[in-house]
Amino acid sequence: MWKVNERGEKVFRGGKEDGAGAAQAADKCPNFKLDVEDEIVADELRSCYNCRYRRWTAESFACYKPE
Amino acid sequence: MRILVCIDDTDNMESKGTGELAEMIAEHIETSNWGKTTRITRHQLLVHPDIPYTSHNSSMCFEADIDTSYLRVLIDFAADFLVRESAPESDPGLCVAVIDQIDDVDTLIKYGHRAKQDVMTKKEAYNMAERLGIHLSEHGGTGQGVIGALAGVGLRLSGNDGRFKGKHKINGINDIVTAGEILSQTDIDAVRCLDGNDLDYNDKVRLNDWVKSVLLEGKCVLIVSPTENDPDGVKWQMCPKKILKSLG
Repeated sequence: MWKVNERGEKVFRGGKEDGAGAAQAADKCPNFKLDVEDEIVADELRSCYNCRYRRWTAESFACYKPE
Repeated sequence: MRILVCIDDTDNMESKGTGELAEMIAEHIETSNWGKTTRITRHQLLVHPDIPYTSHNSSMCFEADIDTSYLRVLIDFAADFLVRESAPESDPGLCVAVIDQIDDVDTLIKYGHRAKQDVMTKKEAYNMAERLGIHLSEHGGTGQGVIGALAGVGLRLSGNDGRFKGKHKINGINDIVTAGEILSQTDIDAVRCLDGNDLDYNDKVRLNDWVKSVLLEGKCVLIVSPTENDPDGVKWQMCPKKILKSLG
């Protein structure tokens, strides 16, 4: 589900359209924190796509609070 | 005079968001009786490895109608506010444009669109602001936020970018309302389906707790999508968040 990029960041393999995968990953993550309302983009609220600690990249996002 | 105020790059992953700071500036304008403010829009800018954004690279913009005598004091307040409230490692930028005094609106709008596609420089932003007669200033860190702040003003002026901050509150029986009721209960200007057509006043819409609007054609527009097998035969529902994201 994750890979490490050239900057050493943990990047989600599912890209920006894997809603189920991002929700599954957030469900298991003890560090999940819902971002402010302006930045909520996934219908499943508990999703890495809605997490305060994700940083969007061109193709996906990097997790800045890995387990 | 009508002005646009836009801020960018004020936060980190633990601090208040840029939208909240924009809201606080707008509230101060209102409580100080400097003028009236409108809804804040969020404008997505380019996500690129060479751009040092916090997590999403978006700027926040609002319009205000103020007495001319308050322009300077407003800019000074917003500048001090950003120094005080921005996250320590952020790079905040502030843009304040007097709408009727912008020398070349089309150029500013093009700049805004470019900031969604290209990596821009601070120098270019300052040159553009000076040429167009717009206030642009930085208030900490590298000051990189001036790029997004200026771009946000251009995108807001375009009338076709961004989603509005906050959710609309609508009362409906069993979460069902007509498009006409949505328009009468809120400041939404149009209820529109994805093919671009506006709903008729009597068309029914199923609500949820996520009623968010986008800026389209200079209007506050609620986008709806078709329902599937609605138990009450309602044909329209709130648009999924990921579609809203693609629109704004």
